[in-house]
Amino acid sequence: MTAVPTVRREALHFALRNRKLVVGTVIVAVFLVAGLAGPLLFDHGPNDYVGPPMASPSGEFWFGTTTFGQDVFAQFVYGLRSTFLVGVLGGVLAAVVGMVVGFVAGYRGGWVDELLTMLTNIVLVLPALVVLLIINAYLGVRSIGVQALFIGLTSWPWAARAIRAQTFSLRSREFVDLARLSGVRTPKIILREIAPNMSSYLFLTFILLFGSAILIAASLDFIGLGPTEGVSLGLMLNNAARWSALQLGLWWWFIPPGAGITAIVGALYVMNVGLDEVFNPKLREM
Amino acid sequence: MRNRTRFLIPVLAAGLLSAACSGGGGSSTPTGPAGGGAGGGAAAPAGGSGAFPRNETLYTSGTQWGPPANWNPLREWDFATGTKGLVYETLFMYDPNTDKFTPWLAESGDWTGELEYTLKLRKGITWADGKPFTADDVIFTFELGKMETVPYHPLWDWMKSAEKVDDYTVKFTFTTANYQEWANHLYSRAIVPKHLWEGRSEDEVMNGVNEKPVGTGPYAYQSHDQDRMVWVKRDGWWATKALNKDVKPKYIVDIVNSSNEVAMGLLLQKGLDLSNNFLPGIANLVKGNFGIETYYDQPPYMLSANTTWMWFNTAKKPMDDKEFRKAVAYAIDTKKIVEGVYGNLVKASDPSGLLPQWDKYVDKNVTSTLGFSYNPDKAKQLLADAGYKDRNGDGLVESPSGGKISLKLIVPAGWTDWMEAARVISSSAKAAGIDIEADFPDYNALVDVRNQGKFDLVLNNDKQLANTPWLYYDYLFRLPVQKLQSTTNYGRYENKRAWELTQQLDQVKPEDVEGMKKVTSELQKIQLEDMPVVPLWYNGLWSQTTNSVWKNWPSSAPNTPKYPPTVWRNWLEMGGTLMLTELQPASGG
Amino acid sequence: MRRYFGRKLLIYGLTFFVAVTINWMIPRFMPGDPVQSMLSRANVAQPAAVEAMRAHYTAMFGFDLPLWQQYLNFWGSLLKGDLGISIWLFPTPVSDVIIRAVPYTLGLLIPSILLSWFAGNRFGAFAARRKWLDNSVLPVGYVLTATPYMWLAILLAWALGILAGVFPVAGAYGFDMQPSLSWDFLGSLAQHWFLPFASLFLVAFGGWAIGMRNMIIYELEADYVNYLRALGAPMRLVRRYAFRNAILPQVTGLALQLGVLVAGALVTEIVFSYPGLGHLILQAIQNQDFFLLQGTFLFIVIGVLIANFIIDIAYVLVDPRTRTGMGGAA
Repeated sequence: MTAVPTVRREALHFALRNRKLVVGTVIVAVFLVAGLAGPLLFDHGPNDYVGPPMASPSGEFWFGTTTFGQDVFAQFVYGLRSTFLVGVLGGVLAAVVGMVVGFVAGYRGGWVDELLTMLTNIVLVLPALVVLLIINAYLGVRSIGVQALFIGLTSWPWAARAIRAQTFSLRSREFVDLARLSGVRTPKIILREIAPNMSSYLFLTFILLFGSAILIAASLDFIGLGPTEGVSLGLMLNNAARWSALQLGLWWWFIPPGAGITAIVGALYVMNVGLDEVFNPKLREM
Repeated sequence: MRNRTRFLIPVLAAGLLSAACSGGGGSSTPTGPAGGGAGGGAAAPAGGSGAFPRNETLYTSGTQWGPPANWNPLREWDFATGTKGLVYETLFMYDPNTDKFTPWLAESGDWTGELEYTLKLRKGITWADGKPFTADDVIFTFELGKMETVPYHPLWDWMKSAEKVDDYTVKFTFTTANYQEWANHLYSRAIVPKHLWEGRSEDEVMNGVNEKPVGTGPYAYQSHDQDRMVWVKRDGWWATKALNKDVKPKYIVDIVNSSNEVAMGLLLQKGLDLSNNFLPGIANLVKGNFGIETYYDQPPYMLSANTTWMWFNTAKKPMDDKEFRKAVAYAIDTKKIVEGVYGNLVKASDPSGLLPQWDKYVDKNVTSTLGFSYNPDKAKQLLADAGYKDRNGDGLVESPSGGKISLKLIVPAGWTDWMEAARVISSSAKAAGIDIEADFPDYNALVDVRNQGKFDLVLNNDKQLANTPWLYYDYLFRLPVQKLQSTTNYGRYENKRAWELTQQLDQVKPEDVEGMKKVTSELQKIQLEDMPVVPLWYNGLWSQTTNSVWKNWPSSAPNTPKYPPTVWRNWLEMGGTLMLTELQPASGG
Repeated sequence: MRRYFGRKLLIYGLTFFVAVTINWMIPRFMPGDPVQSMLSRANVAQPAAVEAMRAHYTAMFGFDLPLWQQYLNFWGSLLKGDLGISIWLFPTPVSDVIIRAVPYTLGLLIPSILLSWFAGNRFGAFAARRKWLDNSVLPVGYVLTATPYMWLAILLAWALGILAGVFPVAGAYGFDMQPSLSWDFLGSLAQHWFLPFASLFLVAFGGWAIGMRNMIIYELEADYVNYLRALGAPMRLVRRYAFRNAILPQVTGLALQLGVLVAGALVTEIVFSYPGLGHLILQAIQNQDFFLLQGTFLFIVIGVLIANFIIDIAYVLVDPRTRTGMGGAA
C-alpha cells in the first residue's frame, strides 16, 4: 500500500508527457468550459429570435443565425451543456450498473454469476438503439434526464462483462483472501479491495460509456426522439436537417453541432488511449 | 480473408436485385402487354429497355409518405397518389380558384324539384376494361354509402334514394336538401365500376387493396415499389375525344417522401418536376437562380390550402370566458409566425378564418368592426377590464378569483414548423401577461386529449379548401358535443344559434351567393364576438415546379393555367388532372 | 462444446422471449389510441361515421380484448408467422412490408460490417507501431469513429450528391428505372447503394482500425513476443502471431458492436431515404403503426441473434482453446 503515492506521482509524470492524453483532455475541457460558461454570455435563450434570419457568421453572431434568426452560437453552447449532461448521466448510470453487476457476478460466482451473466447477455443482444427508439416513441414527454436514464439502462452490458472478468482475476489474490479471512463483508471487500485495484480500468470504461452515450443521444435527437424541450447538439442537427440548412447554404447551422459531437467524442477516445498508456507502462511510446 | 471480401460483392448485388424485383414483382399492367412471368418484375413499357424516357415522364412527390399500399378510392386518406383523379374520376370537377363546377363524368346536373336532383351522364365513356360507364355505376357507388364504415355513409341520413331513369340519367331524392353538402359530394365521390365491385363484402369494399384498379381516367397502374408509384397513360381516355383534352406525360412517377430535405435535394438535382412538399426556405431558391418556381413569384408564393386554427377548450376555465379568449387573440403575433417561422411562405389569416378563395363570403363590415389583430395593449386592456390582474407581480395575470392561470398549447412533437409557431405564440402571449406554454406531446397522445377535451389549447388544420365554407362552419360549430369529439368542434363550444345557422347555410343553394352571405355574416359575428377559435394563418398549397422537362405550369403569371398545381389526395378533382392536360414538353417536341 | 452451444441457445431463446414481451408491452401501456389517430387522419366529417369506423377497426385489430388474451394471441399469431396488418400501409400484412425492405438493409449492412471489419483490422494491424502511420492516419480513425453517422451521411449526400452531382440522394435505384437484369439497372442499384454504404463503412472502419491497433500494441508487448524476438524470429512472423491473438477480441467486439452497427444503418437509411428497415421504423414511429414497429423490431432482434450465433461459431473456429471444450466466450 505504501507504493501507491509513488505510482501516482509516476502516473502524473507520464500523464503530463503523454501527448494523446493532453490533447484529448484539453479539447474536452475547452468544450466543457464553453458549455458551462458560454450561456452566461447571453441574456437571451437559445431559441429566441434575436437576429436577422439566415445571417452568415459575423462578429455579432459568431456562428451565424438559423432560418428563424436564432443565434447558432448560443444554441451551440447551450447544446453543449445538454450533451455533456446526457453523456455524464448516461455514462455514470451505465458505469454504476455495469460495476454492480460485474463486481457481484465476478466476486460471488456460482448461481449469482450465472444469473447475472444471463441478464447481461440478454441486454447485450437486444439492439439498444432500437429498444430506445421504441421506448422513446411511446414516451409522451421526453426530457434529457429520461433520455440519459434509458441510455444508461441499455448500454452497461459490455462494461459489466469486462469488469466481471477483471474481478474474477482479482478475486483470488492474497489481499482479497486476507480481507475475507478477517471477516470483512462482501460489499466492503468489493469497495475497499477490488475496486481501487482496478480504478484505472474503471475510469477507462467510464470514458468509453460517456462517449457512446453522447453518440446514442445524438442519434435519438436526430431521428426526432430527443428531448421535447431545450437544445442539444443532436437537436440542432435535427433542426438543421429538417429545415434543409445545407441545401439553402446555411452550412454554419449544420456543421458546428456535428463537428462538436465528433470533437468531444473523438477527444474522449483519444484520452482513453492516452490514459491506457499512462496506466500501462508497456504501452508507452518508445 | 481477402478472398472472402471478393466473393461478397456478387452476393450483395444479387441481394439488392432480388429486393428490387420483389418490389416490382407480382404486378402487371392492366392495359399494356400481359405482365411478366413469376417474379420477373413488372412488364417493361413497350419498346423501352426497362427505363422511363425522361422527356415522357413526370416526376412528382409530396403525397405519398409510405410505400403505396392500396388503390382503393374509398380510402380517401391513404390510397396511392392518383388513385382518385388519374384512374377513378368524379362526376364534376371543381376549381376553387374560380369557384366553378365543370361537368366531368356527368354532362349536367340540376335540382329538378325541391328535394330532387337529376343527373345526366356523359355518353361514350368506357371503363379501362372496355365496358361502358352508365347510370348503374353511379347508383352503385352512392349506394355503397349504405355500408356503415364507408366514409360517406352519413349522406344516407338525408338522401332517400338514387334511381335510374335511363342508362344515362340518375334521379336522386332527398329528405333534406343539403345543397352545399351535395355539391361537395358531386365532385368528391370517385365513381367505381359496378361490374367489378358488385358482390364485394363490406370488408372488401373498405379494406380491400383493389390491385389493378379499373377506372375511367387517363392513367392506368404500371408498377410500384417501396419508394415509388408509377402510372402509365392509357389509350382511349374519353376526354380526349369529348373535351379535346389530353394528358401529356406518358408516365407519372410519384416518389415516396421520406423527408422534406430529401425532396429538396431531388428538386435541386432536377429529379422532380413537381414537388408538393413543404420545403422551408424555398423562397430563397425561387429568388436565386435555381430553376425552381412557385405559383406566385413573391410572398406568399403558394396558393392557400387550409387554415391553421387555435382551439380553446371552452369547457375549461378560464377559456370559458369569451373576454379572456379575445384577449388571447389580440396577444398573438401572427406576423412573427408568418415571417419568422415560415419565411413568408404562408399568409396571415383573415379574422374570419375563411380562405382567400372564400373572400366573397366574408362580411367586411363585421370583420372590420369585430375583427382582431396583434395588439398587446388591447389584450392587456381586455384582461384588465374582465378582472384578470397580475396579483403576485410575476408579470402574468391571475383569474378574477385569484387563481393561477397556466395554460398549455399542444402541438404534435416532430411537426417542426408548428413547434416553432407554438413557441412564438407562447412568448407573445407571455408578453401580454398570459401564461401559455408550448408543449409537444406525441401525436397519438395529442389526439387522445384533444378528442376527450382534456387540453387547454391546440392547433389544428384538418379542414381543407373545398367548394363551400359550410364545411368550415360545420367544423367550428357542430353540435351536439359528444364524449369524443374526433373531427369537429374540438373546443366543445356550445352555441345553438350558430349550429342552427350552420345547418341553414347547408340548405342555401351554392349559386345563391347573397343568400349564403347573409348566413355567413351572422356566423362571422358570432365567431368574432365569442372567439371560440383563433384563425392564425393559411397554410400553402405547397407546390414547387421545375421547367427542365415540363413547362406551362399553373402560376399567377399571365397566359398560364390557373389550376391548383398539385397531386395531393383529393385535389386532383380540384384541378390537378386539368393541370396535367395543360403541361407541355419543355423541348419543342 | 455441446454445453457451450446449449447455453448460448438458451440465452438466445430467453432474449427472444424478453424482446417479444417488451415489444408487445410498450405500445399497449403507453398513452394514445392508434385507431383514433388513424381516423383523425382519415378526415371524415361526420362524428357518427367516425364512431362506426372506430368500433370496426378496434375490433378488427383486436384492441377490445382483455390484455392477457391479446398477449396470448400475439404469441399465437407470431408463431404462425403472422405479424398482423400494418395500420399505416393498410391493408398490407406487416410481414410483406418487412420482407420487401429487408434485402436493402442486408445489402447495406452485411458488406459494410464485414468490409469495414476486415479492412479496419488489416489497417489497424498495419499501422500499429509504425510511427508515421500511427501519428498521421490514426487520428483520422478517431475522428471517423466519433462521427455521428447521420452527420457524415448528410455531408456526403450534400457534397457528392448535390454539389458534385455524382451520386443520387434518394431511393434504391433510379426513379426512371424498372427492375430488370440489365447493366443499366445494376449500375443504378450500385450507384444508389454507394453513399449509404460509404458512410456506414467509414465510421465503422475507424473504430475497428483503432481497436486493432491498440490490440496489436498490447500483443507486441506480451511476453511471448519478447521471447520470440529474443529467439530471433523475423518481425513478420511475430506480427502474424500477434495478429492472430489480437483478432479474437475483435471477433467478440463484432458481436458487441452489432447493435450499434444496426442502429447506424437505420439512421443512415433515413438520411438517404433508402427503402430498408430503418426507414420503416421511422415511419412506423411517426405514424403510430405499432404492428409494423413490433414486426420490424422483432425482425431486427432475430437478425441480431442469428448474427451473434454465427459469430459464436466463428469464434470457436478461430480460437483453438474453445475448440477443445472451454466454457465461455467472454
